[in-house]
Amino acid sequence: MTPALEIDGLTKRFGEKLAVDAIDLRVPQGSFFGLVGQNGAGKTTTLSMAVGLLRPDSGSARIFGEDVWSAPDRAKALVGVLPDGLAMPERLTGREVLTYLGLLRGLPRDVVVGRTDELLAVLELDGADQTLVIEYSTGMRKKIGLATALLHAPRLLVLDEPFEAVDPVSAATIKTILRGFVVGGGSVVLSSHVMALVEQLCDHVAVIDQGTVAAAGTLDEVRGERSLEDTFVALVGDEDGGVKELSWLSR
Amino acid sequence: MAVAVTMAAMKVAALRHSLRGTRAQLAGTGAALGAVLAGGTLYLAFGDLDLLAAAYAVWLLGWLLGPVFMGGGDETLRPEYFSLLGLKPRELATGLLFAAFVGLAPLVSIVALTGLVIAGVRLGPGNALVAVPAMLLQLAVFVLLSKVGVALVGLGLRSRLGAIGTGLVNGTILAGLGQIWVVFWALGQTGIPTAVAYLPSGWGLLAVRGVWWAIPALVALVLVLLGAWAALLTRRLGATRTSGSGRRPIRAASPGGAIVAKELRTWSRDLVRNYQLTFALAYGVGFAASPLLIGWNGMLPYAGPIFVVMAAGLAANMYGTDGTALWLTLMTPGARDVRGRQLAWLSVHAPIAIVLTVVCTAITGGPWPLILALLPALLGGAVGLVPLISVYGLVPGTDPHRRANNPLRTSEDDGGLTGQAYAALAAVAATAVPAALAAQWFGWAGPAIGVATGLLSWWGFGALAERRLHSHGPELLNEMRTGRKATGARSIQTRFDQLPTGRKAIAWWCFGFGAIPLFPQGVVAAVFVANGMTRQSWFLATYVSPGLRYPVAIGFAVLGVAMYAGGTWLVLPKRTKRQGSRPTPPTEAL
Repeated sequence: MTPALEIDGLTKRFGEKLAVDAIDLRVPQGSFFGLVGQNGAGKTTTLSMAVGLLRPDSGSARIFGEDVWSAPDRAKALVGVLPDGLAMPERLTGREVLTYLGLLRGLPRDVVVGRTDELLAVLELDGADQTLVIEYSTGMRKKIGLATALLHAPRLLVLDEPFEAVDPVSAATIKTILRGFVVGGGSVVLSSHVMALVEQLCDHVAVIDQGTVAAAGTLDEVRGERSLEDTFVALVGDEDGGVKELSWLSR
Repeated sequence: MAVAVTMAAMKVAALRHSLRGTRAQLAGTGAALGAVLAGGTLYLAFGDLDLLAAAYAVWLLGWLLGPVFMGGGDETLRPEYFSLLGLKPRELATGLLFAAFVGLAPLVSIVALTGLVIAGVRLGPGNALVAVPAMLLQLAVFVLLSKVGVALVGLGLRSRLGAIGTGLVNGTILAGLGQIWVVFWALGQTGIPTAVAYLPSGWGLLAVRGVWWAIPALVALVLVLLGAWAALLTRRLGATRTSGSGRRPIRAASPGGAIVAKELRTWSRDLVRNYQLTFALAYGVGFAASPLLIGWNGMLPYAGPIFVVMAAGLAANMYGTDGTALWLTLMTPGARDVRGRQLAWLSVHAPIAIVLTVVCTAITGGPWPLILALLPALLGGAVGLVPLISVYGLVPGTDPHRRANNPLRTSEDDGGLTGQAYAALAAVAATAVPAALAAQWFGWAGPAIGVATGLLSWWGFGALAERRLHSHGPELLNEMRTGRKATGARSIQTRFDQLPTGRKAIAWWCFGFGAIPLFPQGVVAAVFVANGMTRQSWFLATYVSPGLRYPVAIGFAVLGVAMYAGGTWLVLPKRTKRQGSRPTPPTEAL
């Protein structure tokens, strides 16, 4: 079966720094795939290149077999993306953002209206009909971003830190939505540095360290007998365990 | 006091870091220019002291207006940085004032203000002694008036009414400065009005000349301004409000319609855009109407065209001001973003421009063919070039939700924004040249040509912009995300920065002063000569013997064009390099 997302030798260099070094990844259809790594490991850069938001120096990415760079129209119609920290059309309300993007995707008007209502209600954003996105809190921005990723009913979701700054109740809602999506045959790739969350949600996981894949496979293959956190620290931490203390702070 | 010293030290440290590499060169050029101006001011101190007072009035104007038009002024130390420290507003303002004294502009200004000491020495030992405190107080007045001015504009931009009011005032002031010759003409004098000496910029000089109240007045003014600034700082630390009325639902049913709907909402809700629109309108009307003061209405019909050109200049960073929201455009490759933005821009600006033009031209009774040729040509040129300039010469903006509480500061790259605005002004004006020439030579053929070139610019430049957005979208997004040019991209700005110092200075002069021979001494002078208005003002062509008038005016116009052409030639790349995935040396990253 064609992988939902297939990454071949993606490489990106920023000046002196090799941010992503020839990464290969396969995300099988119907899998819930977690990408974990330290800050600056190259997760965001990899995901940006995989969906066509950042041009790689070399390598390729295919979404359900469609090349992101040579057939962008077909590839991008199949994927919903939540990037981390990028702007939105800031002077629109949440409802207007979704209406705008739905129409932009070429959806019929009545479909757009229906899905917008439903998304706003489920993500508990419907109370903010008068609020412009620029006035949203960080958590609300995540939620409206997720709504834009889901709006056109893609077959693959690529989510960069989807749970950051989201309150526990909304997080539970989002988890339920994502699990339902995977049960229905959809595929999800998400990045996170919260190991417990990845362990709880994902069936596949890849550990990224300094721009390369340190380990990848099903969750059980990667963590073995240990917890994911222990495996992760062992894979990417310093030799001495990497845990330091502040002498002046603990009395 | 410890706070003030610490803040000044922070500023020094920040300046030391920023004054490296290309920025240092830029600062060096600025310092050289400032030194020339300061030298000129000092020279005046040896002569007529009324002229010196006028020169200080100009310095004050520079301090007041510079930051408003150049992206909000120096923000090296932002008040927000200190909001968690629990400083009293007055303490914060005093500290920031001390920090504001550190920098190039204050340094240059204090050099210019040593003119007070020179004047004092000429007048007597007592006067020289007074000059020292007068100098420092005067500088404090400059810096504080500048800070209070920016803070007031920032406050104005928090409500729609304020944004519109500020735009009107600033547009009118800038237009008035551009047409200052009208004022001189109207006053019928070449001397300095006595009132100038009594402006706050002249109080230091008054003190030196022995006016007893001047020093106390300066001290009082500094204290009042400091208090005002402290009060404004506490207002600034509150959240920026956006206008929140009238949420009409989006009725569009197509991708193109959705883009227009989004843009129109942004035009009406973004207070910075409200400000830019009213600014352009006030500028157009002010510039064209000010010669009415001397009973000449020949410029009035051009209010509409000037408005269009100015609005295009202010909107030239169309994609940059939206920041990283570009990712949504990249993820929906089927939609034609540029066309939608063009349509929205036109539907906001064209009605105003058309009404303004028709009304003003009806008042003067013509020249209809020329005006009706210019208007469609400029509207088309603007709506085509604005997106094109914003994708080819993108100045990375700060994302709207990450901007500090200074609404005027949409980007960290002031120089880039200014250059881009000038480029847009010149390029848009140039699109009307064929139509204007046709109107001059063949009368009513002009409007037909204007409509044709307008449509062509709209369609053609728009198509080019769309293509660039398609082919370089990820690079533009990366520029926006990191605030620097993608590797391999060679913008005008970086090319400018990479010029050798000598050539860069020449290019600066060409772009900075090319307008003087071209417009006042060339075009306007020719119009005056043509209308037989030879009451000598400051147009050189009206001074010479009748046979030489046109040659002199034309000569100046040619000189102006040559300066622009020379500057462009210096900045243009000497050999074309194909940009692409070729890795570039890391030194290029700014």
